[in-house]
Amino acid sequence: MNLLSIGISHHTAGVDVRERVWLSVEETKEALADLTKRYFNECILISTCNRTELYGMAPDGRVDESELKKFLIDFKKAHPVVRPEHFRGDSASGAVNHLFHVAAGIDSMVIGDIQILSQVKEAFQISREMNALGPVMNRLMQSALHVGKRVRTETAICEGAVSVSYAAVELANKIFEDLSKKSVLLIGAGKTGELTLKHLAGRRIGEVKIANRTREKAEELAAGLGGSVVDYEHMVDALCSVDIVITSVQSPAYVVQPEDVQKVMKQRSHNPLFIIDIGVPRNVHPAARRIDNVFLYDIDSLNTIVDKNLDQRRTEIPKVNQIIKEEMTDFFNWHNSLQVGPTIHDLREALEAIRVQEVEKNINRFSPKDRELVELVTKRIVNKILHQPFTNLKRGAENGMEGSETLLRIHSLRELFGIGRSNKNLEEE
Amino acid sequence: MSVMDLSLLIDIFVIAMPLWYAGVVLLYAFAFFGSDGRAERLKTLFLNATVVLHLIYIALRTVAFDHPPITTVYEIMTMLAACISIGYAYIELRTKTRNTGFFILLLALVFQTTSSLFIKDLTEIALILRSRLLGFHVSAALLGYTAISLSAVYGVLYLMLYHQIKSSRFGLIYNRLPNLEMLEKMSHKSVVLGFWMLTIAITIGWFWLPRAFDHFSYFDPKLISSLAIWCLYAIGLSAKRQFGWQGRKMMIISVVGFGCVFLSLTLINLYMSGFHSFQ
Repeated sequence: MNLLSIGISHHTAGVDVRERVWLSVEETKEALADLTKRYFNECILISTCNRTELYGMAPDGRVDESELKKFLIDFKKAHPVVRPEHFRGDSASGAVNHLFHVAAGIDSMVIGDIQILSQVKEAFQISREMNALGPVMNRLMQSALHVGKRVRTETAICEGAVSVSYAAVELANKIFEDLSKKSVLLIGAGKTGELTLKHLAGRRIGEVKIANRTREKAEELAAGLGGSVVDYEHMVDALCSVDIVITSVQSPAYVVQPEDVQKVMKQRSHNPLFIIDIGVPRNVHPAARRIDNVFLYDIDSLNTIVDKNLDQRRTEIPKVNQIIKEEMTDFFNWHNSLQVGPTIHDLREALEAIRVQEVEKNINRFSPKDRELVELVTKRIVNKILHQPFTNLKRGAENGMEGSETLLRIHSLRELFGIGRSNKNLEEE
Repeated sequence: MSVMDLSLLIDIFVIAMPLWYAGVVLLYAFAFFGSDGRAERLKTLFLNATVVLHLIYIALRTVAFDHPPITTVYEIMTMLAACISIGYAYIELRTKTRNTGFFILLLALVFQTTSSLFIKDLTEIALILRSRLLGFHVSAALLGYTAISLSAVYGVLYLMLYHQIKSSRFGLIYNRLPNLEMLEKMSHKSVVLGFWMLTIAITIGWFWLPRAFDHFSYFDPKLISSLAIWCLYAIGLSAKRQFGWQGRKMMIISVVGFGCVFLSLTLINLYMSGFHSFQ
């Protein structure tokens, strides 16, 4: 199998290197056009913030890895920041294995990252648009997507929040039934606070209020999220009317005292209050945690959740590897069937099965002495039908016809006669 | 079917029901604790089968002994178990809470096992217990107790989840249970239903009992305990209304209330004599 793969990822290079070979959709298309012209019959490019990877089927294995590395560096004019040592390279089953690991999300920076599968899918679509796919890459990408899908449904590798802001959202979902009926107050418009607020907004949180020392910044953020601004001095009063509070204020002393919370809880008739304190040093006095129906989380307790979830995800890796193994076997079984020999064998068996079936069904219409003749004649018909296609197929392969051309013929033959497990089946799944 | 066959069939049911319940509870346990896919798919089917079997059992008893099984505390307990399963089957059908079955059916198992251990084939019952008002009185009380039991289970689950969230110790309970607000809502809805049903049961009892029993006394331990329980729930519910109590406090009241109900149903019925016992 002439599959080649090179790539830069967070395993092999820092962000300063990775960002230099990142490809936009337009650049990807341009590069694909170049690559198919110069090196490959079939080719795909996956580029995300954590990786840029190239997979291609080279005719007769004449392409060298180092040429490809040079191509990418030159294409992005990334010399001398990006050097060939930054790349990883694989071929044949190594490349398939790597792609499946990527699609499964276990090669990601954050294990079980959900985004990668949609990025692989997007790369697949771009290649398809650019006519850069043939039967092998097409099948390979479908298998990769299938791996991703199976991993998602059959293992828990994507479960549990693995960032502080998502952990906060996950907790909110364990406390409240419907976030769209709840309101949130952000105190201090810091980066993590803003991110957490945006994640909550992504879950259609009801009302958004923002309090910040510099009012302009609060107004700017509120405008972006469709929220309102609260006076920083009156933020404790605002605690009465919200369900979730995110604090991320740069302040040496506690901004919210337990007495404040106690008072507020009475005013809000002990409605549950979820406080996410991501300020360092902390903004809310930890004693507030002891008050009934107050759920106070600081950055450490949120990190505990993240660590626990990551551990949980890691325990799922053996299951993921098993799926990858199964899908690899499946893929290579399919690929091996694309040889001329097995295809001739399979097709002959398929037609023979039809023949036997039809003969058995109708044999009683013939007199006993004719029956042997029927067998003989039908066998001869099948052989005659198969003779011409088989001769052409064999001759093509022997006369050094382009490998991909033979593959395409075999692929079409198998598709048309419905032999083996076709791409169609996989897509329907 | 002869009477002999019928009573043999009932005997089989008496033994089989707790075993069946244990099986269903086990299935729900596998689904909850082991995240077992097959148990997850089968559990609702088995729950529905439980409901059907239990209704058959009740119907058989009614026919064989010529009265609905509501005349002794053990007959009441099997009715209670049936009501709990029916109530929970309804919850599973109509709400998104599908992960609490183990805890609720465990309660049904306790009631059914207690009932099966002590229930007697009783054909002769006091004339008084054939009154139609008794039917209403007992039905209301049964529904009330069922709702209160469900409320207590949801209360316990709420407290467990509340504790895990508060202390940042996230275990199975955290992973598998629905959110706090939903648990509280379920508990509250059932407690309100339970309270009104008990109110009806007590009101009927209040007017009908003095006329029905010769030795009637308003100081009967069963009456006093029922009234005390009713007061406890009344106080809890009005505190919620008046002072906006909610969350942990209300759940504790709900669980304590159920504890009292259970004691009243068992201890007072068994060990204190009064007119309000049926044997």
